[in-house]
Amino acid sequence: MSYFLQLVVSGIVVGSIYALSALGFVLIYKSSRVLNIAHGQLIATGAFITYALAVWAGIPIALAFFLSLIITFFIAMSVERVFLRRLIGEPIISVIMVTIGLMSILDGLIYLTPFGTLNFSFPEFLPTTPIRLGGVSISWTQLVGVIITTILIGGFSWFFRKSTLGISMRAVSDDQLASMSIGISIPRVFGLAWAAAGFSAAAAGTIIGNITGLNFETLQAFGITVFPVVILGGLDSIIGAVVAGIIMGLIQQFAAGYLDGHWGLHGTASLLPYIILLVILLFKPYGLFGIHEIERV
Amino acid sequence: MAVNRWLATGNYFTTYKQEQRIFQTNLDRTVFIAFLMVVFTWPLFFEVSSKYMLVVDNILIAIIAVIGLNLLTGFAGLISIGHAAFVGVGAYTLASFSRVLGDSHVLITHAWPLMLLISGGVGAVVGAFVGLPALRLKHLYLAIATLSFQMIFLWIINFSTFFNQGQTIFIGRAYWITGKVARDDHYLFWYYAMLVIVVMCGFGVRNLMRTRYGRCLVAVRDNDRAADAMGMHPGLTKVYAFGLAGFFAGVAGALHAYLFRGVGFESFTLHQSITYLAMAIVGGLGTLTGSFFGPTAIYMLDLKVENVAEYAGSIFSETMNLATGLRPLTFGLVIVLFLMFEPRGIANWWRISRSYLKLWPFRF
Repeated sequence: MSYFLQLVVSGIVVGSIYALSALGFVLIYKSSRVLNIAHGQLIATGAFITYALAVWAGIPIALAFFLSLIITFFIAMSVERVFLRRLIGEPIISVIMVTIGLMSILDGLIYLTPFGTLNFSFPEFLPTTPIRLGGVSISWTQLVGVIITTILIGGFSWFFRKSTLGISMRAVSDDQLASMSIGISIPRVFGLAWAAAGFSAAAAGTIIGNITGLNFETLQAFGITVFPVVILGGLDSIIGAVVAGIIMGLIQQFAAGYLDGHWGLHGTASLLPYIILLVILLFKPYGLFGIHEIERV
Repeated sequence: MAVNRWLATGNYFTTYKQEQRIFQTNLDRTVFIAFLMVVFTWPLFFEVSSKYMLVVDNILIAIIAVIGLNLLTGFAGLISIGHAAFVGVGAYTLASFSRVLGDSHVLITHAWPLMLLISGGVGAVVGAFVGLPALRLKHLYLAIATLSFQMIFLWIINFSTFFNQGQTIFIGRAYWITGKVARDDHYLFWYYAMLVIVVMCGFGVRNLMRTRYGRCLVAVRDNDRAADAMGMHPGLTKVYAFGLAGFFAGVAGALHAYLFRGVGFESFTLHQSITYLAMAIVGGLGTLTGSFFGPTAIYMLDLKVENVAEYAGSIFSETMNLATGLRPLTFGLVIVLFLMFEPRGIANWWRISRSYLKLWPFRF
């Protein structure tokens, strides 16, 4: 039983990180219908900036985390400004390919820094003894990660429900023409969506880096693992991203805990999301919470 | 009407048959034949080091794969982020023969044209199977489905003992009429073999696009409702497009296995899929000539970048890790710049220069 509970706890930890990663992805898709394949690179960038500020520049980690959020916010915003603004209205393959090209460029830039090949880990700033609750243990980094994730997701939901900017972003995702006619600047909303995605990606990256250590491959892999999550949740639903993130985290932990090592199976945790993805695409392509607007052939 | 069959400067077609000709003028045909002769004979006159011959062979393999991808993404308009996995299906078909029969079984070494066809066939079947979601899905969702096929394929390779968990599976040396192909002639032999296959593929696709089986792909890409009204089945056409792409990819994969005399997982990763897509885009989507220009351009660029990185690596300290960084950087820049400034690819430059030369010295 405690094994089961332990898996649930770690599933929720992993899942909340997925939720935070997927959040940025969904933000971009929701407002501008761009599938951002370079999201993993944004996550990695955010994590590395935090590390560089905290360790190399010696800034206190909380402040470094905050600064990194801001810097990645502007990086993502300028990425949109430089690469994607020119492609508004271009065919879908061009836009997808530009994000693929972007992924390559960011890869190259990161490989030019020491982060590309070496492994780093954040200095310990939290107690190292895990918290034990009736046979279930959770480390402080994981706990803090989950708390920050919850706060950020709450903040984003508030932002979309109440603030003017958030409402205008929702309006653009609903109907671009109508929102233009009431005076919303669409390029600005797209830029802001990217910026917000960069913000959440940096947060996700730092949290992942704290839990697993800073390794470019691991961080970047989150950008691809986000796909099953967002498809399960529905490509344009923030609630969907959160729920599906946690479901996916739980599924992965259960797969690793109960399937691996039995019946000659290994590494099922990395396979199952994609099988779920295919099944969802075949039977419920708009996911759990997505808007039902898929055109059938 | 007496039309100059050598130097037509404009569109003088009077029948559909004329319009559908492969070579519009006799000059085109002559130039093409001359080009083929150059391509077939140059290794006889120049001494090429095997390093460069390997690059040329790689380009030819990529051309075959990209012809398939261009059929799928360019002509049929279906984005595939898993083309390397289809290539891998071809390579691993050959590898499973090698695992079952032994790597120097007579089927593998002597009957390699048959093995290429079998690999292509398996690639086509797997391609069509992966394309099945196309019966229900469009655009983005389909692209994500191919991405998940890529991931599942890699998992199967990496975790099954039959495929040696992604480690190299050896393939025996091929035989020609003159006997076993010697080590020194290996790259040259496959150069000629692949050249013949590339020419066959090129004519095959050009002819396919003249028949209804090819034109239905374009019709479904341009407007699937209209295509439906004309009596085509859009869903089945898309599945068929995936099958076609899978066939070319499968042949390319088997050639890859023969050329490197082994199959390992690292040639069929997501990164390779993206490279194929980039080749198709840089060459020009929806054009046959683009499938030839794209791989050539990307491989040449790769070679240049490697040289630059080697040179720069000797100046800067080795912690900079230039070689691993410069490659993706230039690669990404090329994709992005092409998409921004020349979305129709190198094939468009080719088209422009051709029409310029046709009228030369007059402007119009």
